[in-house]
Amino acid sequence: MWKLSDRRREALWGFLFIFPSYVGFMVFVLGPLIAVAAISLTKFDLFGGTTFIGMENLGRMLGDDRLKTVYGNTFFFTVFAVFFNLAVGLALAVLLNKQMPHALRNFLRSIYFFPVLVAHTYVAVIWQFLYARDTGVINYYLHLFGIGPISWLTDQRWVLPSVIIMDVWKNTGFAMLIFLAGLQSIPGVYYEAAQIDGASPWRRFARITLPLLRPTIFFVLVIFMIGAIQVFDTIIVLTGGGPGDASRSVVIYIYEQAFQNFDLGYASAIAMTLFGLILVLTLLQFWFSRRWVHYE
Amino acid sequence: MTLQLMAVEGAESVNRRSRTANRIHGGPAAALGFGFLLIGAVLVALPLVWMFSTSLRPSAESYRLPPQWLPTQLHFENYSAVFQSSVPIVALFLNSLKITVAVTLGQLVFCSMAGFAFARLRFPGRRVLFILLLASLMIPNQMTVIPIFLIMKALGLIDNHLSIILPGLVSAFGVFMMRQFYLTLPQELIDAAKMDGAGAWTVYRRIALPLSGPALSALAIISFNATWNSYFYPLIFLTSWEKMTLPQGIALLSGYMQSGNPAVVMAAVTLAILPILFVFVIAQRWIVEAFVHSGIK
Repeated sequence: MWKLSDRRREALWGFLFIFPSYVGFMVFVLGPLIAVAAISLTKFDLFGGTTFIGMENLGRMLGDDRLKTVYGNTFFFTVFAVFFNLAVGLALAVLLNKQMPHALRNFLRSIYFFPVLVAHTYVAVIWQFLYARDTGVINYYLHLFGIGPISWLTDQRWVLPSVIIMDVWKNTGFAMLIFLAGLQSIPGVYYEAAQIDGASPWRRFARITLPLLRPTIFFVLVIFMIGAIQVFDTIIVLTGGGPGDASRSVVIYIYEQAFQNFDLGYASAIAMTLFGLILVLTLLQFWFSRRWVHYE
Repeated sequence: MTLQLMAVEGAESVNRRSRTANRIHGGPAAALGFGFLLIGAVLVALPLVWMFSTSLRPSAESYRLPPQWLPTQLHFENYSAVFQSSVPIVALFLNSLKITVAVTLGQLVFCSMAGFAFARLRFPGRRVLFILLLASLMIPNQMTVIPIFLIMKALGLIDNHLSIILPGLVSAFGVFMMRQFYLTLPQELIDAAKMDGAGAWTVYRRIALPLSGPALSALAIISFNATWNSYFYPLIFLTSWEKMTLPQGIALLSGYMQSGNPAVVMAAVTLAILPILFVFVIAQRWIVEAFVHSGIK
């Protein structure tokens, strides 16, 4: 073992090792977090003359109808995108977990997973063409069934569903991957015992798979929710937030207030509300996961 | 004892029987499930197949319906059109590569050092400092972009790659991941080295680091992918063509050419996606594992 002076040296090395990360953390995370809270109390002017206005931005938010719209859009997107990402991902994982040759499972898993690696930007550029009203591939096939034509990206009612479909196509593979790993950690003995007792496949899923997978499902749920609430890339390239405000998300609104209107004070105030939401979600996750650890 | 064994054997044979029965019974259901999987896989692949085959056809045929899914022609002129367009795609590619490599290498060094310290070195305040760092995981980078913008403006780093690289070097997630890995190293190994008089640096450099290949490669994959694909920060910080990244360039190209020239846009997107596909095919196992790790803590 190291002697006392060695222990002091060890502590010194410890501080040295965390120094770069910690300086970065102070300058680019903690500092900015405090700054954003401070800026949210001001009418900020990039070119000098920032004035303290206290809670005025809060009053302005409460009266901002566009803010209500973008929050509504963000919630709509979050609820449905998260639901379908998880539901499809779980279904795929359960099907992939069935008996099949190893190479085949790997191949299918790779196809489902690949879109996760592709930038939202590229995905949106491709889907813009697929969604085109008169020339798009999707409307062509729907028309064969007597449906449409649907104005996917220019109809207020369809634009968010379009964003959600594309998002599920891109992201459900990640949910699938995590669920598959979770499923593979469930001992096969449980299923064999249930089979001996004559449990139907549905009962086996409801009574064994779902309860044992619950922590994984909850974890994926929180990850996807936090991601969905911050949706930006997906929408800005696909629709730019339009038509009107029909697909504008909170982060797009913050971005525009801050970097197009240069209203940094108001943008910071909105950012604070979003941060509050994410904080609540994270704390909920922490609280629930502790309860579960206690349970098992 | 023997009774128990017999019971187990009995259960196994029942199990074997029921499994074969299940296979026969579950035949149609299993086939249905497998059918869903195949149809789903085709649906997932189709947008990318369409992208590729459209990029190989003359632009005039991009709109022809019914759509042709497979590449029926091999017109590479769309690809040369990408290189001759007003978008300097090679420069954008190199910009993205430079930023991504710098961020990834930086994270590997800084996260492994901090992770090692938090896992294996004793210093006052270790717990508090670690929890504080961990708490920052829930601060989205959209939250902090406004003050960071002000910092970069004050430093004169707007439209400079450093404005993307510097904030990218900090990763609470990376530190956490490396710490979890170093906690799994056997303590005896480290104690033995200490006994031989090795200091903290030697233990890190000679023992911990050579063993951290799997963790480092997982972190490298996650970090590389996230930086290579990022759009939000470059959109705000990089304003001139000479400095922009590939996703920015493709989005702008698509805006210019969308109405007239989908084939050229698809050629550009294909060029952007092909390297990822190439790497994925080669390093599939590691990439999948890295993402599983990023999900399960």
